Amino acid sequence: MGTVLQFVVLGLGLGAVYIGLGSGLLLVHRATGMINFAQGAIATWGAYVFAELRNTGTLVFPIGSVDLGEPPSTATAHVIALGFAVHYLAFRPVQQNSVLAQVVVSVALLITIQALVVLRFGPNKIDVESFVPGGTVTLFGAAIPTRELFIALVMIVLAALVWCYMRFTRMGIATRAASENERAAVLMGFSPSWLAAIAQAGAAFVGTVSVILASSLTGLNADWFGLLVVPALAVLLVAKLESIPVLVVAAIGLGAFQSLIGLLVTQPWWPVWAQSGLDQVIPFAVVMVILFVTGKRLPTRGATQQIRLPDVPIPRMRPLVAIGLLVAAGLALAFTTGTIRFGLTTSLILSLLALSYVVLTGYLGQISLAQSAFAGAAGFVLSKASVDWGIPFPISMVLCALLATALGMLVALPAFRIRGAQLAIVTLAAGLGIERFIFNNYSLSPPEGNPIADASLFGLNLAVREGRDLSRLAFSLMVLVIVAVVIWVFVRVASGDMGRAFLAVRANERAAESSGINVRRTKVIGFALSAFVAGIAGCLIGFSRGQLSAESFTVMAGLQLLAVAYLGGITTIGGSLVAGLIGPLGISYVLMRTWLDLGEYYELVLGLALVLTAILNPVGIAGAVRHQVEFVRRKLRRPSASPPVDGAPRRTEEASHV
Amino acid sequence: MSDAPVLSVSGLTAGYNGVPAIRDLSLEVRAGEVVALLGPNGAGKTTSLLAMVGLVPLLGGEVRVLGAPLGRRRPHQLARNGVLLVPDDRGLFPSLSIREHMRLAARRRDARHEQEVLERFPALLDLGSRHAGLLSGGEQQMLAIAKALLARPKVLIVDEMSLGLAPKIVQDLLPMIGRLARADGIGVVLVEQHIELALQVADRGVVVNHGRAVLAEDAAALLADRDLVEEAYFGTGRFAEPLGETA
Repeated sequence: MGTVLQFVVLGLGLGAVYIGLGSGLLLVHRATGMINFAQGAIATWGAYVFAELRNTGTLVFPIGSVDLGEPPSTATAHVIALGFAVHYLAFRPVQQNSVLAQVVVSVALLITIQALVVLRFGPNKIDVESFVPGGTVTLFGAAIPTRELFIALVMIVLAALVWCYMRFTRMGIATRAASENERAAVLMGFSPSWLAAIAQAGAAFVGTVSVILASSLTGLNADWFGLLVVPALAVLLVAKLESIPVLVVAAIGLGAFQSLIGLLVTQPWWPVWAQSGLDQVIPFAVVMVILFVTGKRLPTRGATQQIRLPDVPIPRMRPLVAIGLLVAAGLALAFTTGTIRFGLTTSLILSLLALSYVVLTGYLGQISLAQSAFAGAAGFVLSKASVDWGIPFPISMVLCALLATALGMLVALPAFRIRGAQLAIVTLAAGLGIERFIFNNYSLSPPEGNPIADASLFGLNLAVREGRDLSRLAFSLMVLVIVAVVIWVFVRVASGDMGRAFLAVRANERAAESSGINVRRTKVIGFALSAFVAGIAGCLIGFSRGQLSAESFTVMAGLQLLAVAYLGGITTIGGSLVAGLIGPLGISYVLMRTWLDLGEYYELVLGLALVLTAILNPVGIAGAVRHQVEFVRRKLRRPSASPPVDGAPRRTEEASHV
Repeated sequence: MSDAPVLSVSGLTAGYNGVPAIRDLSLEVRAGEVVALLGPNGAGKTTSLLAMVGLVPLLGGEVRVLGAPLGRRRPHQLARNGVLLVPDDRGLFPSLSIREHMRLAARRRDARHEQEVLERFPALLDLGSRHAGLLSGGEQQMLAIAKALLARPKVLIVDEMSLGLAPKIVQDLLPMIGRLARADGIGVVLVEQHIELALQVADRGVVVNHGRAVLAEDAAALLADRDLVEEAYFGTGRFAEPLGETA
């Protein structure tokens, strides 16, 4: 009993962070209708700045820093400023955009801030001196730490303040009002943007306080605290995105429960394979159950206007373009060697991963943040299949991709009931659960790595390495062929009935259903197809590395991939090719690292570029290029069609701007 | 009452995605005056109103509010300056109580003014803690108007108040708006489907059809000549559109 109580109290530290992040998420969702996936990262940044200020008296900005001499007594202002900056620079510009753009902006913010933390404060954990008095009280014969109790208490008080703000202040009531009917709030003289800015600042403050307090227990670590947003999101869903009291109870419950699992797995009868990562699987399970029970009753915001989704051009078979691209890619691979060729090959593989986003997000409109988990699952099974079970090459790859497909269909189940940002939460939780429970589980995937046998077909050696050649042409060409085949299949599917059905579901599920499309079946097929493509990509990543480690398929890696897929253009094949070129470890990254020596800035650049893309240009790089091409074509066509009159060219230019 | 119009619209053209839904609408409202904007569905009435408060951008023409052009003022700033639109969805927040609506409506708390307004709507007096979503249609409409009055409007724009209300309630509410306008010196623009009732309350009437103002007259004159209004409404007789350019 005493030990159990001790562990429950130890879990309060975690619970306090969930309260901090969760009530911030709730506040922001109430004020903007958006889910801020960067909430944890923002709070972590705030805590780092605070720790640095306290330790050295230096106030660190994203660029530059100010030496204040001695540590100031209060450091609230920078957190408030952070909240305002987040609102005005990232959230407000996408307020009227699609849910996808909103999710992408907050994911981009997450990537950017995580990268900034590492750049500005270094990758290592920072120990934070506690200003909460330590000590213990004895209860039921066990020493109960008072620090955790104190921290939880502080956060409960802060959450209560948030609750009071929304309940009793005019601004808070207006925030709730605007979440129900934004136009009516405007007509009563409230600026939703200002309300949202205040909410964002409050959220940044509460979250930062929770991370500052909790980091005095564990030390400050960007990755860890940044991704605590996932269980906080689980808690938020339990509270149905509305109720602070429920949120507080759920947060403490989850924290205590996770801590208890830590106690449970040390029991001798507990199976070894289930020792690691279980604490992450539980938030996912919680989210799944909650959503299945209450799925349709989660509140959605009354939209003020019809939101336009990014354009989807129907792909056409263009043999000349296809052959041209194939020859160009083949030549590029043939005339390069070493790291450059390897970078090109990686880019090809990445474009497949991006294509899996094009299928699912671009065409079907479902936001999945678990694609890298699908790829990873296929890769890890490939290791077993090729080494332990000795299954030969093409069959092993297809089998593993089919396994990823099954996983994808499983994740499709919640998509029956939920959509938009909430689906993103579930898939993010699923991805994190798979990462922690399978990839990081030493009894399932040994820490020394998962070797993958080299591929060969009809006696042809398709290994990526041989002797001193680190990147063989045969392997690269194999990748090229596989990518070409997958893209060909995609074009066939996307331009046929199935592609139209995807687009119909994306545009309006009810309308699709009423015109005879089986929405659920379409969603399952979409998830399956997308997971299959991701699985193939995962296998190819496995072959190209020769062995797999968990780092290749972390949730953060998956988020980066969503980032590049969106950046390239989430609705087109061309977009996925561009995404491959700019993707992590792809050719651009290799060039950036070898020529410019800027490899460490890659993630920062990526995150910032993504924020800008989501705000300015929802069709991505490929879409922008296509618009330009069409624009030039129109310009070339128009003057020849009309007789050359004075001033005519100028008029056509004006006309084509419209 | 001064003679300067509190709201003057000249040549207003507004619409969506660059396509006008209303073209070249002009009207003036003075303090204490009620102008009824009439017309069939899709004539462009609601768009005109939204454009007057800046919720739909102007494609042409000018709107002057309280003597100053609409300019770059945002819709919420206009509301603070005393230009209040009661939209056709009533602009209420279903999960907020009546008291919370009142709290939001008044920029400064003024118990006396609140009491005065509520006394005009006795039905609301005992329902303070009830959520707006649980009120009847008539009560909701009263709340919508009461909260607009609480903000001390100089211009009150009411869109299709009668929508979804029993005729009996409309017969009570519309004349009350007219009395309020005269008593408090508020310039009122009413969009209505109940032509006769609206014209009885209004000083002047403007009939719009197919995105154009086709008729603007004193309300009394319009009431007297039912045929004229009917023809304007249906685009027949004197208001028939020419069929093509050769006609």
